[in-house]
Amino acid sequence: MTIPTQKLSLTINDKVVGPIDVPETMMMQDFLYEYLNLTGSRMGCGQGICHACTVVLEKADGSLEEMRTCITGAHWFAGRKVRTVEGQAKRDANGAITELSPVQQAFIEHFSFQCGYCTPGFVTGATVLLDQLRRNPVKREALEQVISEALDRHICRCTGYVRYFEAVRDLVLRTPGLVKA
Amino acid sequence: MARKLLLAALAVAVVGALVGGAVFLGLFERSVVAKAVEQPLSAEQMKGLAKRGAYVAVAADCYACHVVKGGAPWAGGLPFETPLGTIFSTNISPDKEHGIGSWTRAEFHRAVRDGVGKHGHLYPAMPYASYRKLTADDVDAVYAFLMSREPMKVANRANHMPFPLNIRQGLTFWNLVNLSSDAKTEIAGRSAMWNRGRYLTDALAHCGECHTPRNLAMGMKESAYLEGSELEGVMAPDITKAGLARMGFDPLVFASFMKSGISAQGAMTNQMFEVVHFSTQYFTADDLAAMSAYLFDLDKLPESVTPPTPPQPVAVSAEVATSARASYLAVCASCHGVEGQGIPHVVVPLATNASLRLADARNLNKVILTGIPAQRFPGLERMQPMPGFAGQLSDQQVADLSNWLRASWGGQQPSVTADEVKRLR
Repeated sequence: MTIPTQKLSLTINDKVVGPIDVPETMMMQDFLYEYLNLTGSRMGCGQGICHACTVVLEKADGSLEEMRTCITGAHWFAGRKVRTVEGQAKRDANGAITELSPVQQAFIEHFSFQCGYCTPGFVTGATVLLDQLRRNPVKREALEQVISEALDRHICRCTGYVRYFEAVRDLVLRTPGLVKA
Repeated sequence: MARKLLLAALAVAVVGALVGGAVFLGLFERSVVAKAVEQPLSAEQMKGLAKRGAYVAVAADCYACHVVKGGAPWAGGLPFETPLGTIFSTNISPDKEHGIGSWTRAEFHRAVRDGVGKHGHLYPAMPYASYRKLTADDVDAVYAFLMSREPMKVANRANHMPFPLNIRQGLTFWNLVNLSSDAKTEIAGRSAMWNRGRYLTDALAHCGECHTPRNLAMGMKESAYLEGSELEGVMAPDITKAGLARMGFDPLVFASFMKSGISAQGAMTNQMFEVVHFSTQYFTADDLAAMSAYLFDLDKLPESVTPPTPPQPVAVSAEVATSARASYLAVCASCHGVEGQGIPHVVVPLATNASLRLADARNLNKVILTGIPAQRFPGLERMQPMPGFAGQLSDQQVADLSNWLRASWGGQQPSVTADEVKRLR
């Protein structure tokens, strides 16, 4: 039995990928792993609950959205722009990392993660939160609540939530324009 | 001539006012409560009745409405958003100040069966139109059980009803039109099992309060008994014999569905999830069988059954099928399976799902848009949360998906429009 395929083209980490023949029933997570060797997004629950598998969807209006790759078909992303955890840091011409993203840097500075399995999802979630705050800054007193709600769905089995939380709060407070007076 | 007309009109107005006044004063109210309950129950009798009362109260699902999440037990406070205003359930713990601690046996009977409480008329959000058919013995048992609970010092919340609906005495008119004086619990010629099922369905579990559509007077429409109705934006489905078969239930599966909340037809959602959670999961096997027998109009449950024939697929246009299949593979298939088979103990199947077979597509459309929270079912079963796809799918994509699912697995005509979906957002 052959699995029916369909041509898929999309932009991943600023590079155009495809057209590639991809099984029409394949999930995005498997596509990233098996076709592109992008293994940074983690397969956790496979049911869209733990959010270890998320990637950033860069929408046409420039805003960002978090997408779960384990429960979203690869073909849903056809023609869309995606940023995986591999595309967060700045790299030189040889692909070597020259500068981490502000979220990644903050997580390192705060010793946010232990085993690191959930970290790609947290990087994605926090990156999307920062983008939202840039568009709609919140009052200082609402910040803790906003961070909790935004990252609440991410599960960390080492229970390192507090340091993720502190890293994001610290980053938001020292980035101009995210918090209203 | 004009003078005669005027006199006649005046006479009609006077008679009308007199009749209206008499109705308002409750002169036409017919109590089904017998005089015998004026006699208080002895402490001994109360003690003896309380245990059975616990089961009767569960079967009547009293608790689901007379508690709020995280609130004091039996202390009420649950809001009912009716089209006419918001009503809060009341404290029915035996607290003397806020609850029913100072209520006599007779006062309790009249509240439950006539809708007239110690402090005035009840709103019919309290299903006294159904509880009217309860036996005096069962009401006594619930009374004894409630009086054995811990008193809760929790004040009742004020209802938000506009004038003139906030005048409770006005419910005499509703009661006159909508309350049946027929409180017979048995139909001769039918089996004890069928009759018990009828009593469970109509009196205790008060199924018709949601599943029977309401008429202009907001009373249950007898001519459309259990044929399904809209409730808080979703459809309470048709649970007549034909309606249950349409959803794919046979009498045996249905009885176990009321116990577990899960079957090949899907998992209980919305208010029925709570009904299973608080009430039907605790039904005895006999009562589950009786309820199923009655709803399928059988005098006894058969040993084995042939499940209803699955519906024949209905064709949809190639355009709809292409759009829908792409959406299905993109956002549904990872959990519900490419063939709609679901994942046992985790996700319900769609290929045999009752929601796809209902005449009205609203429930399916709403679920696609807003999802379902994680739900724990009896027997350690747990269904994972379903995300809503309002952000990922356009109105047209939802309509196409809904039409395709309903046509291919539910045998329904593809009649959902993008506008219909838009209104649900």
